[in-house]
Amino acid sequence: MKSNLKRIINQKLISIVGVSLAIFIDLLLSKLMASWSYSWLPVQASSAAPYVDNLFAFETGIGTFIFLGCSGVIGWVLIFNRAPKYDESFGEPIEGNTNLEIVWTVIPLLLVIAIAIYSTNINSTLKNLGSKSKYDPQKDLIQNSELGQNISDAPIDVIARQWNWEFVYPEGFSSSELHLPINNKINFRLISKDVLHGFYIPAFRLKQDIIPGSIIEYSLTPTRAGVYRLRDSMFSGTYFSENQTNVIVESKDSYQNWIHKTVKKVPVNGLNQAGILYKKRLEKGDRGWATVPPNPPPMVNEPGDYQQPHEG
Amino acid sequence: MTTSKSEALLHTPGHIKHDGHNLTGFIIFLCSESIIFFAFFVGYGVLKITAPTWYPDGVSGIAVKEPLINTIILVSSSFVIYFAERYLHKKNYWGFRIVWLLTMIMGAYFVYGQYVEWSELTFSLNSGVFGSLFYLLTGFHGLHVITGILLMGLMLIRSFIPGNYDKGEMGVESISLFWHFVDVIWIILFILIYVWQ
Amino acid sequence: MTITNYDERVLKASHPVPGAPNNWRRFFGFNTDAKVIGIQYIVTALFFLLLGGLLGMLIRGELITPPSDLFDPSVYNGLYTMHGTVMLFLFLFPVLSGLTNLLVPPMIGAPDMAFPKLNALAFWLVPVFSIVLLASFFVPGGPASSGWWSYPPVSIQNPLGHFLNGQMLWIVAIGLSGVSSIIGALNFVTTIIQMRAPGMGFFKMPIFIWTVLAAQILQLLGLPALTGGAIMLFFDLNFGTSFFNPETGGDPVLFQHFFWFYSHPAVYVMVLPVFGIFSELFPAYSRKPLFGYKFVAVASFGITILSLVVWVHHMFYTGTPMWMRNLFMFTTMLIAVPTGVKVFAWIATLWGGNLRLNTPMLFCLGGLFNFIFGGITGVMLATVPIDIHVGNTYFVVAHFHYIIFNTIAFGIFAGIYHWFPKFTGRMFYEGLGKVHFALTFIGATLNWLPLHWAGLLGMPRRVASYDPEFAIWNVIASIGAFMLGVASIPFILNMVSSWSRGKKAPPNPWGAIGLEWLLPSPPPHENFEDDIPTVLNEPYNYGLNKPFVFDEEFYISKALNDS
Repeated sequence: MKSNLKRIINQKLISIVGVSLAIFIDLLLSKLMASWSYSWLPVQASSAAPYVDNLFAFETGIGTFIFLGCSGVIGWVLIFNRAPKYDESFGEPIEGNTNLEIVWTVIPLLLVIAIAIYSTNINSTLKNLGSKSKYDPQKDLIQNSELGQNISDAPIDVIARQWNWEFVYPEGFSSSELHLPINNKINFRLISKDVLHGFYIPAFRLKQDIIPGSIIEYSLTPTRAGVYRLRDSMFSGTYFSENQTNVIVESKDSYQNWIHKTVKKVPVNGLNQAGILYKKRLEKGDRGWATVPPNPPPMVNEPGDYQQPHEG
Repeated sequence: MTTSKSEALLHTPGHIKHDGHNLTGFIIFLCSESIIFFAFFVGYGVLKITAPTWYPDGVSGIAVKEPLINTIILVSSSFVIYFAERYLHKKNYWGFRIVWLLTMIMGAYFVYGQYVEWSELTFSLNSGVFGSLFYLLTGFHGLHVITGILLMGLMLIRSFIPGNYDKGEMGVESISLFWHFVDVIWIILFILIYVWQ
Repeated sequence: MTITNYDERVLKASHPVPGAPNNWRRFFGFNTDAKVIGIQYIVTALFFLLLGGLLGMLIRGELITPPSDLFDPSVYNGLYTMHGTVMLFLFLFPVLSGLTNLLVPPMIGAPDMAFPKLNALAFWLVPVFSIVLLASFFVPGGPASSGWWSYPPVSIQNPLGHFLNGQMLWIVAIGLSGVSSIIGALNFVTTIIQMRAPGMGFFKMPIFIWTVLAAQILQLLGLPALTGGAIMLFFDLNFGTSFFNPETGGDPVLFQHFFWFYSHPAVYVMVLPVFGIFSELFPAYSRKPLFGYKFVAVASFGITILSLVVWVHHMFYTGTPMWMRNLFMFTTMLIAVPTGVKVFAWIATLWGGNLRLNTPMLFCLGGLFNFIFGGITGVMLATVPIDIHVGNTYFVVAHFHYIIFNTIAFGIFAGIYHWFPKFTGRMFYEGLGKVHFALTFIGATLNWLPLHWAGLLGMPRRVASYDPEFAIWNVIASIGAFMLGVASIPFILNMVSSWSRGKKAPPNPWGAIGLEWLLPSPPPHENFEDDIPTVLNEPYNYGLNKPFVFDEEFYISKALNDS
């Protein structure tokens, strides 16, 4: 009797130690995976990036813990609970356990509430999205010059077309490349001339759809000098994948230099990969399925250098 | 099927009836159908509130008087059809047929009134957001009214088949339910388009 | 025994009553037998799986290299649009309708569906809208190429200006598919509510029936919103109205609301029956009762209700106000709770069981494993700041393929294998089944796991060309995709040869519990006919001393005699 009790206690002890060990290993691996997850993302080039990456690492950690926990149990039963061939006998007939059900309802509930609160806080910290106002496309847009009382706050107009980007600066010139001064909050007005587009810079971890018929105010703060890709992220038709350009984040001085230099430049045709491809298509006899012809490239003071290497 | 019946069964065999689910099915269908209208109503509301321009050029509003008469006729037909059903319930077939026909005529008048209104309007399907929504909503509803009248006609013809109501009055019940549904939709539609200007 | 009180449909049935000669022609006509319709659905759908898979492989062929060199980008866009549409509307919905048709009447003891003729109509709409959709490959300008979302204004651009254009045919096909699905849903819901066996209260129904009910109610509530949106889109495209056209004052974002109000729940319409399949198969192959039957059952409806209020999470970056984003982030994450209840219940069902790892169980386990992964990336995507970065990138593509293929299609394969003996009367070849599983699991993992990283690094979805830094992930993915193509060969071989010359199947080859296993294999036209069992308990009493139906012995021996 006594030895029996001892055996049961021993078994319990072994399983408690075993489970704790498993949880410890799981925690360790989750921590490792969370710190590893930073390397899966592009460089952090805006004020938003660290917040997003931390949140992502946090969720990667939790996710890894749950995933390894669940698949660990599955792996365990796959190894230790396999029926021998032709054995159709029953397993332990456990019908359920209400306490356990409550535990695995409440814990995920608390977890998602925690994640939701965490990300709500980040949302209110970042506040990239300003107001969205519809306008009547029959009438013209308000010109930049009417807004530009204080040039440094005045927004850069991001104009998306099928399929090119045009950036109109408050100083009154335009560019195919987006040049931004580092560590400054930059305001944008996002405008589409035809269909939906997406203003997406992976290194900034920011994305905003551009809705035709609405002007969307947007702002962000670049924090790292370098060349990054800006990609159209909302499908916009045939040459959607060619609708990219570069974002150049530079020091305030070189940004000012660039402005002074560019204002004086004679406008030329802007960046136009879609147009080049469309021309090739026409040369080959316009084969393929129907497409809207690309818009002609806008006249810009700075056509930029699309080929220069980019990070992220 | 060789089991011999002589062995006494240890259980009572269960049965499930094959037919008689039409009304249930039809009610479920109406619930689902109402969501389409709901989608249109939401679309109307959202665009009405947010669209930069609402009425087409040269239109400042929409006349209410004739549509109101139309509305009264359609809504009262919902009461009329109820009496038709009562007649049928009491096995007064001629009473049913006459009142049922009256409902059909009221429905037809509504469609006619709708036609007159459409032909007098100065804007079309292509005249901006309001034009599109107006014709979509009234047109889609009108299609339901016409369907209702056709189905009622079918029921009217079938009422002459001897023994048509031996299995119950599910057809008539369903159509009458459909008619009430069409009415309720119209009331919401009327409020949205004509009252909320 | 003389047949006296048969419904006259039985006597007229083209389906063979046991003993009558087997008649394969019944599968090619307007047959009202739910089991024939079920097989018609499944076979048609599997054919379209091949077609959709082929389109998918063409996409992966283009993406194996960074530049757009295999096709013109316009062709690429058409291919990926049709890939998505074929897979969803021609494969997944029909195949699930097929499984539901096969399983619902036998599982609840009903002789047939409530509306057999409507049921046949719903099936025959599938070839009709398939032809409409596939015809769009041959119209001038090619098929729809604005993605399966068909967001305006791209979808209403109509470059050639013809009335007959791919996008128009696409909308018509989706509309017809909607009619078919609504008829089906109506039928399933009515059947489940009204035609259950004596004694089968709601809390004695199999979980598969619970999930079908939850899914089909969702279909009835959600699908009309898409239909409404599609009607408006059709008018915008062809008649110059301005619902979604910004140039004349319309609102393109409004369409997104209509679209996602249905199309997000649509994922649950598809995944819920698969949860049902998991809940049937795990107990049967672990030889254990389902852990927490009532919780698993009720969780289905928890998912249904929540899934109606999450659609805005597809629009976190379309200018949605902050309060709305926060709200929908929260509701979306809440879905993890009932889903978690199910996942943990399955794992607890496995725990301490006596596992038999045959093909259906392998697909189930693989599906569960993938689903846990896909569920976790789902919670990540629900988080606004993360979604703003990875939304509309390959991370999303990878996530939803983890759900839609690696979970749903795995579950469907599991279901097909599990019930194959029941409805064909033949056993399948286990070896080929295992080869199919191994190829599918490895192929699917290679295909979609690496794409998560492409997305995290910022590769947008739907691109015909991409920057060279994403090449490595795409090469692995393409290899996986071609492997999945190869995986279809053992499957087809297995199905065709087993059905024609497989070993004869006993009524209950898996020792599973459920009304369908008390029937002969294949079941007679009207299942239990005029002797429907009285259900005493839910069908998960493996190893428990609780009888499932009254006088079970009688039905078991009757099924053996009739087989």
